[in-house]
Amino acid sequence: MDLKHQSRSRTIFKKGLLFVFFWGILLLIILFFLLLIYSLVSYSNYETVVNVLRDPEFHFALKFTLGTSLLATALATIVALPCGYLLSRYRFPGRAFFDTLFDIPIILPPLVSGIALLIFFGPFLGEQLARLGIKAVFSPLGVVIAQWFIAAPFAVKTFKHTFSSLDRRMEKVARTLGFTPTMVFYRVTMPLARNGIIGGIIMAWARALGEFGATAMLAGITRMKTETLSVAVFLNMSIGDMKFAIATALVMLLIALTLLVILKVFLSDEVRV
Amino acid sequence: MKNPYLLVKNLTVQAGKFKLQDISFSMQPSDYLVILGATGSGKTILLETLVGLRAPVKGQMFLGEREITNLPPERRSFGFAYQDSLLYPYLNVKDNILFGARAKKKDREQAVLERLERISNKMGIAHLLDRYPHSLSGGEKQRVSLARSILLNPPILLLDEPLSALDPRMRQSMQELLRELHLSEQIGIIHVTHDFNEALQLGTKVLVMDQGRVVQQGKPMQIFNKPETLAVAHFLLVENIQEGKIVKADGLSYFRQKGNSLTLGPVSQATRDANTDQKAYLLARSGNIRLALSDGEHNREPNSWLARVEYKNLYHTHVDVFCKGCGYWQVALSIADWQRMGLRQGAQVQLSLKKEDLHVI
Repeated sequence: MDLKHQSRSRTIFKKGLLFVFFWGILLLIILFFLLLIYSLVSYSNYETVVNVLRDPEFHFALKFTLGTSLLATALATIVALPCGYLLSRYRFPGRAFFDTLFDIPIILPPLVSGIALLIFFGPFLGEQLARLGIKAVFSPLGVVIAQWFIAAPFAVKTFKHTFSSLDRRMEKVARTLGFTPTMVFYRVTMPLARNGIIGGIIMAWARALGEFGATAMLAGITRMKTETLSVAVFLNMSIGDMKFAIATALVMLLIALTLLVILKVFLSDEVRV
Repeated sequence: MKNPYLLVKNLTVQAGKFKLQDISFSMQPSDYLVILGATGSGKTILLETLVGLRAPVKGQMFLGEREITNLPPERRSFGFAYQDSLLYPYLNVKDNILFGARAKKKDREQAVLERLERISNKMGIAHLLDRYPHSLSGGEKQRVSLARSILLNPPILLLDEPLSALDPRMRQSMQELLRELHLSEQIGIIHVTHDFNEALQLGTKVLVMDQGRVVQQGKPMQIFNKPETLAVAHFLLVENIQEGKIVKADGLSYFRQKGNSLTLGPVSQATRDANTDQKAYLLARSGNIRLALSDGEHNREPNSWLARVEYKNLYHTHVDVFCKGCGYWQVALSIADWQRMGLRQGAQVQLSLKKEDLHVI
């Protein structure tokens, strides 16, 4: 009896130690993250932030980032919806290969993606595209292309996962109720996938908003021309304007946090339609 | 005889590595057809094929005079419900029920709305119409799903294990509802299940499936008492399966096992009399074996044998008595009979089977 009691208390003790260790790690990480944000905020002050918010360069960077990233996200969504759907629903030759192709931009450092894009839109196809009036290198269009290239695979992956996780019997029931396959897609599949699709769009947008490496390679770092918020932070840091860089970083942090909250809401299982 | 309402002829369906083979059956609107089979026997695939969600490799299906083999599900308009209700979470109960009507642009028709009201009253879900599926109980969801599938008067209603996700109390009330629907709406129902009790309680006709084939079909009691194969007997939990052989002598055929010989009847009537002197199995339901106290004398009834009581299992409805003598036998007794006889372990009893209950395969 005594032995049993002893061994049980030892197990509890061990479990207790393990949990103390887990909790310790979690708290340390939370503390580190909070301190990181605090250090960024404390390095600036209200006045500087307000001044930067009034700065024409900041205005340009903000509008340009929102414009390019929204356009890139829209294009990514248009491409990712059919790709995600087909990869999730159909078995066809080369499916695994195509699926892996979409992983490449995710695992590749954005700088490398940028070099590939630069060569493709430059020496490789640049002349032919220029004849069609498409100039991607060192232009705002290049920013959209770079953001799209980085963001689209995330959307494809999320959409694919979303479509795969739907109960296909819901669609089958709709067929028996009189819906054609096309009607089923609009009336059943899309409404059921709604939260996952919104989540994927937000994820893609977040990627596009913060994109730097590929953008810098393809579109260049030109003030007031291809200057996204990330580029603005880099440009101003490199010339020693810490105030501008930090204020811009704070705005980016705010946007990121807002997107994160929206993402959590849409991807949360507890949130019901 | 009336022409069958639904006629399925030699249906073969390939589903991955699984194959439904040569399925044939027919039914009338007055039939409540129960398709019975273990998990993996192909019941759901058959149902999905009937409803048009899977294309057969071979075979034909007719609804009345019309061939429906190649019609897509939306043009067959069968009612169909899976075991979990599968309601659309983004629609309220009313819109879920009207979903099929919406596909056919009938969701504003007065007749449809009146039927919605009638059905929801009958099913006891009228007070739920504005609610969303996540706030309903399992039984309520199942009723809504059923209402959705019968709103537009389908020619046949197909149900995939409609009772298995429900607790016993809900199951009972759902079963009553299904019986009532079948009778009052005059709708032919095909009900897939692995539970033979559902077949006994609801079915007018039963089809037993095993490994993608129909192994037996007939009336529920006929299948219950006279399974045609060992596999069906095992699946239907026939309590007594005795091995022996069929022997012919003096114009009669007998089922003979060690120490026992039961008269099956004149040779011409005997079951499978061609298989004489070959291995055969006697299948007997525990409720069909009669048990009487015996003093050990040999003035026995025909088709009877002596045994001793080994042990018993007491249930609230009956007593299962296990006896040893010419094999092991399980006999079901009413509690009253059990008490009247005062059977104890080791008691000598006489077991017998009526000629019509002798089923040998």
